[in-house]
Amino acid sequence: MTALRRFALVLLLGSAVWAQNPQTVTQPSKSPLVTLRIVFQTGSAFDPAGKEGAAALTAAMLSEGGSLAMPYEQIVRALFPLAASVRRQVDKEMTVFHGSTHADNLDKYYSLLRGMLLDPGWRDEDFRRLKTDLMNHLRVELRGNNDEELGKEALYLRIYEGHPYGHENTGTIAALEKLTLDDLKAFYRQHYTRGNVTIGLAGGYPQGFVDKVTADFSRLPEGGPAKLEPPQPKPARKLRVRIVEKNTRAVAISFGFPLAINRASDDWPALLVAQSYLGQHRSSKSHLYGRLREIRGLNYGDYAYIEYFPRGMYQFQPDPNLVRRQQIFQVWIRPVEPANAMFALRAALYELDKLIREGMRRDEFESTCRFLTKFANLLLQTQDAELGYAIDSKYYSTTEFNRYIRSSLSKLTLDEVNTAIKKHLRATDLDVILVAKDAQGLKKAILSGAPSTVTYVSPKPPEILAEDKVIGRYKLAATVDIVPVDSVFQ
Amino acid sequence: MPKWLLACLLAAALTGCSGSKSESKVFPFPYSLDDLPNGLRLVTVNTGFPNIVGLYIVVQTGSRNEVEPGKSGFAHLFEHMMFRGTEKNPPAQWEAVMQAAGAQTNAYTSDDRTVYHAVFSKEDLDSILALEADRFQNLKYTEDVFKTETRAVLGEYNKNSANPFNKLDEAISETAFTTHTYKHTTMGFLRDVENMPNQYQYSLTFFGRWYRPEHTIVCVVGDVERQAVLGMVQRHWGGWKRGSYKADIPAEPPQTEPKTTRVDWPTSTLPLVAVSFKAPAYDDEIKDSAVLDVASYQAFSDNSDLYRKLVIEEQKVDVLAPDNADHMDPYLFTVTARVKDPKDVDYVQSQVLATFETLREKPVDAAKLEEVKAHLLYEFALGLNSSASIANTLAHFVSLRRTPETINKRYALYRQITPQDVQAAARKYFVPTGRTIATLSHKP
Repeated sequence: MTALRRFALVLLLGSAVWAQNPQTVTQPSKSPLVTLRIVFQTGSAFDPAGKEGAAALTAAMLSEGGSLAMPYEQIVRALFPLAASVRRQVDKEMTVFHGSTHADNLDKYYSLLRGMLLDPGWRDEDFRRLKTDLMNHLRVELRGNNDEELGKEALYLRIYEGHPYGHENTGTIAALEKLTLDDLKAFYRQHYTRGNVTIGLAGGYPQGFVDKVTADFSRLPEGGPAKLEPPQPKPARKLRVRIVEKNTRAVAISFGFPLAINRASDDWPALLVAQSYLGQHRSSKSHLYGRLREIRGLNYGDYAYIEYFPRGMYQFQPDPNLVRRQQIFQVWIRPVEPANAMFALRAALYELDKLIREGMRRDEFESTCRFLTKFANLLLQTQDAELGYAIDSKYYSTTEFNRYIRSSLSKLTLDEVNTAIKKHLRATDLDVILVAKDAQGLKKAILSGAPSTVTYVSPKPPEILAEDKVIGRYKLAATVDIVPVDSVFQ
Repeated sequence: MPKWLLACLLAAALTGCSGSKSESKVFPFPYSLDDLPNGLRLVTVNTGFPNIVGLYIVVQTGSRNEVEPGKSGFAHLFEHMMFRGTEKNPPAQWEAVMQAAGAQTNAYTSDDRTVYHAVFSKEDLDSILALEADRFQNLKYTEDVFKTETRAVLGEYNKNSANPFNKLDEAISETAFTTHTYKHTTMGFLRDVENMPNQYQYSLTFFGRWYRPEHTIVCVVGDVERQAVLGMVQRHWGGWKRGSYKADIPAEPPQTEPKTTRVDWPTSTLPLVAVSFKAPAYDDEIKDSAVLDVASYQAFSDNSDLYRKLVIEEQKVDVLAPDNADHMDPYLFTVTARVKDPKDVDYVQSQVLATFETLREKPVDAAKLEEVKAHLLYEFALGLNSSASIANTLAHFVSLRRTPETINKRYALYRQITPQDVQAAARKYFVPTGRTIATLSHKP
């Protein structure tokens, strides 16, 4: 990171030098739609110790609870004819409330949103309902219904143990159970301040609207971003495998390690190219997808990430406003038949190791850069996405996202990409999460060091069978522990 | 009616067009239909959004078309096979062209259709239309490749199998239908999915039957111009040969008694209750299916009395979801509730049933009905926010009636619905002999 960039990042994500009044990001246009993104620089990393879930439950009380003037039921009924809503997203360091409405309904919509965010009702009945909802999100949705997201979130928990990022954004079940309305009011008072909010507005809003919203949010108490200096997490030693034991058909696999960089860093575009080549999200161009799924039919897909991408099984594009100081590198192997789980893990590690050792070829580099240069356009197709990305660019202190990608990639060289791969990626000293039924069997297989085999339903070419033997013997110097699924997020 | 006028202006304003030709039409974009002599239909829509094009190729084939026993899940498997290349464009070449275009590509299969979609910059349209035309006409794969891909499909079944809602859907379909192919979900029965590696020959038959121009609609949506697109489509798709296979989808006989089914779920979860009634097929001329759409919002959405009671006030339920998904043939109207405490399952079920009964007994509140209509309209219009999302919406409707006009006709039906219509439809469809109740709960 250059000195200038580093300074900028501290300025925007740090604590001391934030403006005293709401910031704005505006994108006026003639669209009949108006989009609002109200971003607070707070999130689960700011949950007080023992109160993990305060950020999530506070945000829930604002977006799905009543305001001072209106019970939640009335808000639902008022929003319904507009087909509008106030949605929320709580991440480690950023909480956003967002929605779109027709310009003609803007006054009605905005007055509801304003009441919800600035004059929350803090009703007991909303508190009870939403607390249960959040606990069920952890217990039922993640533990129960979605092995893949469970594996991904469990990986973050493992990497960030003892770190401000060390609990799921919703909190922990034990802490949520104990949270009180007063805890939430205190969290709100501390973090929902006028120096800690960015107001994003896009579309056909009327003249004077920006000033009106800014004036309204200036009613928030004084204050700026709270202090957060997350330490660099300690890397795993060897291959640190955690098996989440659960009665389930297949084995979901995620592995990764902390990165030293984020989107604001000089090496980020180079690593973006490497990640896109290795595992472009939900794309058949992903190299891992080609080797594991297309050639071997091991599962439904295999991808790689350098930024947090929640809900990836439901969407093709990442959501904006998930700005984090620290990110991890992650590989997502979609559920595998139990008999092939060890082989699939070894195959993904083998491909990652090979990428690090051999680097990308020139043709791979050039085609990936061409892809990303055009693909960036697709990420900004909607007014809402464009606004979200503009806010992120402000936080990371980068230029407008599309320009940032185009200009960075046009200057990037193959050598820089391969250097960044060697510098930032590794196939050892990382964390692995397996969500599996036969935890003991898998543990034994990993610790025995015995080669993994794979069975196919059709003959494979000799070069694949030969490579399978190499993959099957890929060394896993690992430690393994087993945790019952009911202990995750507890 | 001011709300409707406003909505038309909203829709028209999205494209910057005057709206003068389409004041009463909810789909505001000018579109054209061109039929090639081989039966292929081209729908071209200029959205006014710059640079991007959404290419959605709709094959009117889904799990509904899987008529032979043991072949459930084949339409979906075939969606996978379509990515296995041709002699001219093996998968790596297909990938290279899409990659050079920065395209986002994928496909999906439902009960009634299979849709192949790509979103990219307009300058790549010709090369991508050529590439897609090649695979629809000249797909070629070996038995080995076929077998490998069947395992990816099993992987997809596996990843879906962790979700109890999917299992509940399977159980409802299997119980509610005796004869029609809606008896199985799009994924197919697990036993058939596991047997897919042995079905290579049938896969060739399936391709020959259904991947034909007369079952296909090419939607080109975005920064495009009709004549140029038509020229490209004629050039690349004009030589595709029409087929001759006629579908014989078995009709479902009338249900004669209420049905129930129960699913045991092996891991900890909250109980689910689903109440389904046999419902009419999608229609843009006869009101019934549109009326049931309105009823689903009025009685079971988050604006409903039932939601207020069960979710907000009593807090016994955390998910209340109505579903009256558009289908080619008569399907199901389903309300699913997730119950927070197992001891409340019977109570919640009784409340859902009582709500159906209320719909039968008295007309719905007229003012609230107008709110539902406004919601439907704004929901539709707010979703038209990019060329890709417009193309996605279009794919759904053209798979049902082969023209975007069906959208305008459907929304015109919504506009006409009265409280009496809702009551009449409830009396006709929400009857015990059309009912299936499915429950799911944790049982280790």
